[in-house]
Amino acid sequence: MDGIELEILWSNLISIVSEQAKALQRIAFSPVVREAGDLANALFDTQGRMVAQAITGTPGHINSLAAAGKHFVKAFPPETLHPGDVLITNDPWKSAGHFFDITVMLPAFHKGKLVGFFGSTIHHTDIGGYGVGAGARDIHEEGLWIPLLKLYDAGKPNEVLHEIIRVNVRTPDEVFGDLAAQISSGKLACTRLSALLDRQGHDNIETLAEEIISRSETATRNAIRKLKPGTYHGESSFDVPGGDVVTLKTAVTVDTETGSIIIDFDGSSGPSPYGINVVMNYTHAYSTFAIRSCLNPELPNNFGSLAPIIVKAPDGCIVNCKYPSPVNARHVVGMYVPMPILKALYHVMPDRVLAEGAGAVWTIQVQGKNLDGSPFISAMFNYSGGMGARRNKDGPSATCYPTGVAAVPVEILEASMPILFSRKELQHGTGGNGATRGGDGQIISFSMRTKSEWLLNAVTSRTTLAPEGLEGGEPGVAGRFLVNGQPVSSARKMVMQPTDEVMLATPGGGGYGRVAALPRAAE
Amino acid sequence: MTNTDRPIASSYALAVDIGGTFTDVVLRSAAGKAWVDKTLTTPESLDVGFFCAVDSVLAKAGITPAAVTDVVVHATTVVTNAVIERKGPTTALLVTEGFRDILTIRDEHRYEMFDPQIEFPAPLTPAELTFGISERIAATGEVLKPLDRKQAEAVVAELRAKKVVSVAVSFLNSFLNPVNERAMRDLLKELAPDLYVSISSDVAPLIREYPRTSTVVMNAYTAPITRPYLEALTRGLKQRGFAHDPLIMLSNGGVIGVDVAGNFPVRMIESGPAAGALAATYYAEVLGIDRLLSFDMGGTTAKACVIEDSKPLVTGHFEVDRIYRFKTGSGLPILIPSVDMIEIGAGGGSIASISDLGLLKVGPQSAGSTPGPVAYGRGGANPTVTDADLVLGYLSADGFLGGEMRLDRDGAVTQLGALADRLGTSVGDVAAGIYRVVGESMAAAARAHAADRGIDYRGLPLFAFGGAGPVHACYVADLLESPMVIYPPLASVLSAFGTLVTPPRLDLGQGALSRLSSLDWNAVDKIVDRLVDEARRGLASAGCKSGDIQFQFGADMRYFGQQNEVSVTFDADPRQRHDAAWLRHAFEDAYERLYSFRLPDVDVEVVIWRLVAIGPVAHRDSTPDLNTRPNDIGARRKARFNGHEVDTPVYARRDLARDQSVDGPAIIEERETTIVILPGWRATVDRTGCIMAVKG
Repeated sequence: MDGIELEILWSNLISIVSEQAKALQRIAFSPVVREAGDLANALFDTQGRMVAQAITGTPGHINSLAAAGKHFVKAFPPETLHPGDVLITNDPWKSAGHFFDITVMLPAFHKGKLVGFFGSTIHHTDIGGYGVGAGARDIHEEGLWIPLLKLYDAGKPNEVLHEIIRVNVRTPDEVFGDLAAQISSGKLACTRLSALLDRQGHDNIETLAEEIISRSETATRNAIRKLKPGTYHGESSFDVPGGDVVTLKTAVTVDTETGSIIIDFDGSSGPSPYGINVVMNYTHAYSTFAIRSCLNPELPNNFGSLAPIIVKAPDGCIVNCKYPSPVNARHVVGMYVPMPILKALYHVMPDRVLAEGAGAVWTIQVQGKNLDGSPFISAMFNYSGGMGARRNKDGPSATCYPTGVAAVPVEILEASMPILFSRKELQHGTGGNGATRGGDGQIISFSMRTKSEWLLNAVTSRTTLAPEGLEGGEPGVAGRFLVNGQPVSSARKMVMQPTDEVMLATPGGGGYGRVAALPRAAE
Repeated sequence: MTNTDRPIASSYALAVDIGGTFTDVVLRSAAGKAWVDKTLTTPESLDVGFFCAVDSVLAKAGITPAAVTDVVVHATTVVTNAVIERKGPTTALLVTEGFRDILTIRDEHRYEMFDPQIEFPAPLTPAELTFGISERIAATGEVLKPLDRKQAEAVVAELRAKKVVSVAVSFLNSFLNPVNERAMRDLLKELAPDLYVSISSDVAPLIREYPRTSTVVMNAYTAPITRPYLEALTRGLKQRGFAHDPLIMLSNGGVIGVDVAGNFPVRMIESGPAAGALAATYYAEVLGIDRLLSFDMGGTTAKACVIEDSKPLVTGHFEVDRIYRFKTGSGLPILIPSVDMIEIGAGGGSIASISDLGLLKVGPQSAGSTPGPVAYGRGGANPTVTDADLVLGYLSADGFLGGEMRLDRDGAVTQLGALADRLGTSVGDVAAGIYRVVGESMAAAARAHAADRGIDYRGLPLFAFGGAGPVHACYVADLLESPMVIYPPLASVLSAFGTLVTPPRLDLGQGALSRLSSLDWNAVDKIVDRLVDEARRGLASAGCKSGDIQFQFGADMRYFGQQNEVSVTFDADPRQRHDAAWLRHAFEDAYERLYSFRLPDVDVEVVIWRLVAIGPVAHRDSTPDLNTRPNDIGARRKARFNGHEVDTPVYARRDLARDQSVDGPAIIEERETTIVILPGWRATVDRTGCIMAVKG
């Protein structure tokens, strides 16, 4: 296939999955999907290899979805699939690392033959069990485990599974609304793919997929071959809810002969008793993300471009956890996965990396009673600290890396529950000083307008160990989590009094490079 | 809609559209004759260029300003330029205490996941001119803390000391209860009467503090430039003896009086492009087509917009000054009704290249107008879409801009040859490839745009204009399964023409979260009453009589628990129906159209009440002078179609006669653009002067 024909077909595939993602984001219920864009969409070939992915979503979801493809294909060989089938799972080890993320796959048929799959992963509003937070003691406390199953069989709902889901989640309307959104956007994509194949006179996407995957793999290997070969080390330590310190160590080997990068997490912390353990899929997702965004952000993301990046971690360690480790708040550790990798890559491409930043977004959920006594449970909402400085630019304030999820507006939150914010502004000077400065963290203060006790579930991190600077840049300032002015560090839900005032101060990012001898001019 | 104000026979109407490069003017007599002119925009003081264009076109027609008794309509980039070039005066922002960094924090979203070097647009007001004011409104609308007058006075003193010219006020939940914002405004009026003041509960009383604040800040930032500018125009017109104050084109696809425009300059942001969409709307109506896709492709970008039921789609939010490849999130958000336009980063100047993966890519880099395409001979070394069009034989090396600019075909061939070598193919194949790839990206963008809005794009006729639009429209139409392309006359001044056929119109909204299961109809009546009053006053400033105004009631609604809304139009006035079931039904119809499912068990919630008020449409048709007898084919040239060089007839558009048909492949040349009719298409000159290409 020549570079013109391929471009035309390929860009059409990307346009189809992007359209699927747009439709999904618009119709989803889950606030983190709609306002924060916490979703992933992709097209897979019949072998379960990711061929094209929507240009939206979060790294944790996108690359975890990529890994899910092979499990679906293995569980459902082509002869078991029919038009109208809908496949589903939320198995943490086979998809996105915790029960909240449900992956839905629709087999795509053209002229009666299976040509591929359209998949999506989104964060649902509830999955039963413990709810949001890191407090469960094992995976089973964390909610409903949906194995690889058919949610619809040839268009007919799997009534048993529907009923099981319905009675096991706290918000069945929202969960089924979101599932309907995943299915209808997937159907749209199937229709579009069929129309494309008709228009271009193709029967399937086999040749196209092969071409896309092999060219992507070659381009990625070539980009790696341009780097300085060797093994580079990076290490990142941070504290998690409850006060434990987690250390992630990486040895990043750039192999210019084969054009591959091997990331080994040997030496990293062991499993945590809290639900912050990370499955390999998720570690792989954030590792490949870190490499890819530094290597060349314009390279496509698919099976081929991911293949040259190999991720290893000792069995059972915190970034390759095993059953029955709890995983619910796996983002707390997972979002730090890029940090030690970036530190190692600093020795290879200092212009592309950034200093350590706040890392994981802080997530909050509250539940209690309105002034009139009626109960409410909020959805999860989140806040960012500062990003690390780049070599030539300051780090953005109150913006997260590696994820990039949006925060729900104060007015939307206040309209949906009896919460009252008294402050949400930057804490100037919390970003580390340096030749370029780290982004500032922010202070968020709120109380509840209620007469009853309420439950607070706040997942914070880096409240003692601040993000480090790079190349002599100064560290940022660690975060703070205070209730009525007193520091708190709890991995579990907290019972709060009606008048309690919560303050969250997210960490500032690290600086990059030594501060110049002259003081910076006032801005 | 009825036409109540048909201008008297001797009257003239005038339209001026100030764009980045050119100021276009159209003068039209009541008999339908049109005079047009194009002069250079004078960025330093736009009114100079305005009157220069006006004087020139009046001289052409040999009339005096007194003869212009019909409207003077104006579309302008003055507001957009002030924002993009950051030319506004010192502007301060007052927010609820504790929320000072609202513009820097934004919504915290990182719009480009994979680029760690990402940047965000700088806010229009600097951090040191943002002040927290002690006050607070709850989400219920109740006043938790009234405005602290003492503290506010101290802030006003500081504003004076810092020589602030304009102030934006945006308090939390002010859209539910504006009392504190109004108290702040009154205090400013009292202590600093010379300051420009914009309050968010006036400019955009809508939920979501970041985009609302961004909107009111942009309004405050541009008001001190816009208001004097509009006053100068009004004065100048009066002095010259024009009968009326100008009408101003807004982003929503309506015109309005200078008072309203001066108070809400942020509503003028997309003035020019909206006028183009209105021209498309006008032709849709004249030609009896209820839906079409307007397709405006220029040098660096293309814009597309769906026209449905003879109206352009209007959206409630928009982004200005996107700094990263037109990517959503990389601009300054504004909550302003705006013609729902998709902007695609591809145009005639888009550069073709080969990616690391060996793929032929077009854009997003553009050669712009300097150095421009290789063929311009101004030092551009990167082959562009225009170079491909030239090599394909679609553009003429000698006839570009009426022959004023010779194109360097050899230069284009050389540079395309370099790409061909790398792809292992011929220059012709690469040129054809560029033509196809750019067409595909237009089609993909249009598909996404349409699908996003629940519109079936298939079969939508295309309305093609802009320098490059008519060259590429037939191909894009093929990809969109569209059976028809319309090429309007007066294409070079189409936006100016569009303002002449635009009705007075205001789109107003009021945020108010309310669930249908517990709707307070008293509160609804109050909101709608207020919107209707404001609309009547606004349209009166555009000369509309109360009885001529048509109201369209609607709301942005969602299922309870969802985070984004669907815009719903009601078939009656909600104040007369007082029927929640009827509202739900309207919402579910709209929702199902978009997403093909309903959720009967979930409550429905109104987020924003909306009102569209439209005055009478002006029927200012232009009847072009068309030849009655076909002329002979002037010339032929080799052009490439479907992989073959074809000896193709070339027509001058002005030589074509009414009802004359031309079978593709054919080329029809105008001064500013070239129409390429592909094989299998047949073009016919319509009585309106439009060329209608239909797939055979």
